[in-house]
Amino acid sequence: MLKDKYPDRIEAIFAKYPDKRSAVMPLLYLAQEEYGYITPEAYREIGEMIGVDPTQVQSIAGFYTMFREEPKGKYWIQVCTDLPCALRGADEFYQALLEELNVEDGGTTEDGLFTVEQVMCLAACDKAPMLQCNFHYHENLDMDIMRELIAEWRAKAQAEADTDDTAEEA
Amino acid sequence: MTETVTLHIDGVSYEVPAGMNLVDAARVYAGVEIPVFCYHPKLEPVGMCRMCLVDIGFEMRDRESGELLLNEDGTPQIRWGRKLETACTTTVRAGMHVRTMTEPVQEARKDVLEFLLSSHPLDCPICDKGGECPLQSLTMRHGPATSRMVLEDKMHLAKHVPLGDLIYLDRERCIQCARCIRFQDEIVGDDVLAFHERGRRLQIVTISDPPFDTYFSGNTTDICPVGALTTADFRFGARPWELQDVPSICPHCPVGCNIVASTRLDRDAGGVKVIKRILPRQNEAVNEIWICDKGRFGHHHSLSPDRLAAPLIRKNGELVEASWDEAIQAAAEGLQAAGKNVGVIAGPMLSNEDLWGLRELAEGLGSKRLGLWPASLGDAKPLDEVGVASGTNFAALGKGDAVLVIATDLEEEAPIWYLRVKQAADRGAALIVANTRTTKLDHYAAQTLRFAVGGAADVLNGLTAAAIGQKWIAEDLIESRVSGFGDLQKALKNVSGGDEDAAEVLARAENLVIVAGNDGLDAEGHTALLQAAANFLIVTGHVGRAHNGLLPVWPGANTQGALDLGYESADTRRMLSRTPRALLVAGADIAADPAGAKALQKADFVVCMTLFPDATAEAADVVLPIQSTTERDGTFTNAERRVQRFYTAHGPLGESLSAWEAAALLGQHFGLPAPRYNPALVMKAIAAAVKPYADISFPALTAAEVQMPPIGEAKGFYGGTARPPIGGTGIQLPARSEGRGKLHVKPVDAPGAFEVGEDELLVVPVRRLYDRTPEFASSKLMHDRIPQPFVALNEADAARLGVASGDTVEVSADGAAVTVTAVVDDYAPQGVAFLPLRLSADPFPMIPVTGTVTRVAEALPVGD
Repeated sequence: MLKDKYPDRIEAIFAKYPDKRSAVMPLLYLAQEEYGYITPEAYREIGEMIGVDPTQVQSIAGFYTMFREEPKGKYWIQVCTDLPCALRGADEFYQALLEELNVEDGGTTEDGLFTVEQVMCLAACDKAPMLQCNFHYHENLDMDIMRELIAEWRAKAQAEADTDDTAEEA
Repeated sequence: MTETVTLHIDGVSYEVPAGMNLVDAARVYAGVEIPVFCYHPKLEPVGMCRMCLVDIGFEMRDRESGELLLNEDGTPQIRWGRKLETACTTTVRAGMHVRTMTEPVQEARKDVLEFLLSSHPLDCPICDKGGECPLQSLTMRHGPATSRMVLEDKMHLAKHVPLGDLIYLDRERCIQCARCIRFQDEIVGDDVLAFHERGRRLQIVTISDPPFDTYFSGNTTDICPVGALTTADFRFGARPWELQDVPSICPHCPVGCNIVASTRLDRDAGGVKVIKRILPRQNEAVNEIWICDKGRFGHHHSLSPDRLAAPLIRKNGELVEASWDEAIQAAAEGLQAAGKNVGVIAGPMLSNEDLWGLRELAEGLGSKRLGLWPASLGDAKPLDEVGVASGTNFAALGKGDAVLVIATDLEEEAPIWYLRVKQAADRGAALIVANTRTTKLDHYAAQTLRFAVGGAADVLNGLTAAAIGQKWIAEDLIESRVSGFGDLQKALKNVSGGDEDAAEVLARAENLVIVAGNDGLDAEGHTALLQAAANFLIVTGHVGRAHNGLLPVWPGANTQGALDLGYESADTRRMLSRTPRALLVAGADIAADPAGAKALQKADFVVCMTLFPDATAEAADVVLPIQSTTERDGTFTNAERRVQRFYTAHGPLGESLSAWEAAALLGQHFGLPAPRYNPALVMKAIAAAVKPYADISFPALTAAEVQMPPIGEAKGFYGGTARPPIGGTGIQLPARSEGRGKLHVKPVDAPGAFEVGEDELLVVPVRRLYDRTPEFASSKLMHDRIPQPFVALNEADAARLGVASGDTVEVSADGAAVTVTAVVDDYAPQGVAFLPLRLSADPFPMIPVTGTVTRVAEALPVGD
């Protein structure tokens, strides 16, 4: 339960708004951070906290593309393929990325590390091809840079997994 | 009169009320149909679907002189808008010109339809809505014949999504008008539906728990402008053009919702005429265009295979089938033997004609005992004087007005009043809810008052005392017309503790309606409550004019009619304690109450007229099958004293007859005339004998009041499948206070709250909308919605009794016992156990009694 795990953070979020229901967006981010995506349980938790029907909470999450409503890869890669980006080769870049990771459009890699999808404008047309990974921008990309990034992310994930294993053994 | 303005539509001028919605004004005053999907006259406009785009312009004026600028030909110059505007979000103003048929407007409609259809499945041939679908009709009228959309780009979405047990959503058919979402949000106040995603993926969802299962869910299928929402009852059941709409009146509660029964000859039913669905029929004074799910889905009793199809007579101790001749002969012999020592007990689902027929029979037998079921109702006499005055309409209540709801859970007992009272509160009327426990209506109340079970009249006495003490009274009225004020004032002198805030709001309101039930009251308490309410209304001058008076929440659809025709609950009580030799019980399962069951045993001879072979029938010597509302013509009088007519929708089941006919057949054996030819003639006899009904006749009841806005008209383009007021909107009988005669107040001897010993429990019966009476439970699709039998206990009492939530317990009182599940929360006050009526088959007292609750089995572990 978010309420039990992060009482202070939730208190701080509520303090920012005159009305509890206004806190729905930061709470959705908190839930996404905690669970990896916004679980059906999270809608109920948040609804209860702010006194709103869970259906209405889901409706808000559904409207915004920043909220994940189903489990996705550890690295959530969103490539802009809108017109200006496409003119700078975003489509070819996207196809190459899919091949590199061996996934379908919108799919997740077998190891569960990467989800790759196309999105609408991320407001960085002049730096295309570009992508957003877990809300961080990576711009002026080509496949060489991309391979480095992927290797970096894989290594990072491996390192985290090792620490977890050690922690478990201990 | 409201202020009017001149509105010009397509070059013609109309006088319309200022501030009216442009779509409504065009339709009502100009007969111009501006097509809409998302706009609905009962909902706030949102301008989402863009179907109502029109060209709007204003007359130009000289900035300095303010004079109208004219063209050379003398017509005013008009500045047209640069773009088309949505008519539904526009209110009419002076000097407004509207063009609805210009090329850009027609082009816009075509484009909007092309977009809406770009992902529509076009499965009209198998769609329930096909034939009465606004999307279909408006496409025929305004749409393009072809589409530029690429077939492969069509969105494919889920097609059979249950939003609850009763309503299915087809996501492909949905055009995202949000009418259902807005209905739940604005009208019902239960926002369990919402949009998810956006753009072309936008769709209706619910993840609420419980899901979409309000008592009003069916209404969304009416107002849905496409076939996206369908009911589990009707989906794939018939095509609209095969159906014949027969006007009827809902038999389930005292609201008297106007409905139609859509019927057709049905192969699956063996080629006979059956009801395929129930739809609301517009009556702005009664139910507007809404009905509850009990009314919509609870019609299956009319042709239930469980019904009694032929008369039964007792032979050698067994009930066996018999012909009508044999049964009437047997009944006549039995009644003959009892002489004048005969009594009638009648239920509130019988029509006025039935009740009159039974009364004529009783009088022919020399009996004056006309009992009304249930036996727990108080003396209703004050209502003749202070019942809501003619023309009363909840829709007219708003700021400056007040509603007091006392001793009733309106959502459970009269759902449409719940909706309408809630909306009056939304409009600014001060709502005060007084009950023994929390009810859903509390949420909308300006103030809630609590009283101990039985003490309802004390609340009103307190309010009256406060009003008199603070002089919030109608002095002129009291001086000129009120008798008994001195006595009342004296009696209330020492009454204190009345809530002054509430008293002030209610007493000083422009209009006041008191909605009074009998929740947790016995007859004495109910009598006291009605008189105390009458006192308050008279003393504060809230009688005799529209939108004022007392509205009783009766237990049945025609309780009011029975009272008007001389039936009394008090007579029933007398018959239960001193049972006549012969009893004629009609439309009342009196065996559900132990006192009734005992009377059935005591009587030497019992004739039972019933729809179903219930426990009362089992105890009878002769059982006569009678007809439900949809099998014949007749009238009900609702609790507002509106006499309303229902019509024959389908043939009678088996050999059943109307109760009035059966009574007349019996009467022939006692020298009474032969049965009348039809129920209209029975009503003629009522009109001749019962003064308030003097102007009532079947032809007079066919008159329909003008409905504004006319939602049911125009084949549903505008407001959905609610039907126009075919068959009449009924006639409201005036209250006596509308005349010039004296008004009577009198001191109320309030019995006060029930006393409960420290280790005792008061078992209080409560009415639930969904119960297991066969009239409702014959609708199989509602079975999952009917709660399992339960008793609600307070935490402290449960702890004392060693009972936990979910345990199986036996509730017993007065020698009766039921086995139910315990629900433990803070809903029930300490010392009180709320026991919903008619959830289990076992008889139980219908008034509060002290009793015990004992655990018989522990709760099953959850999750296994």
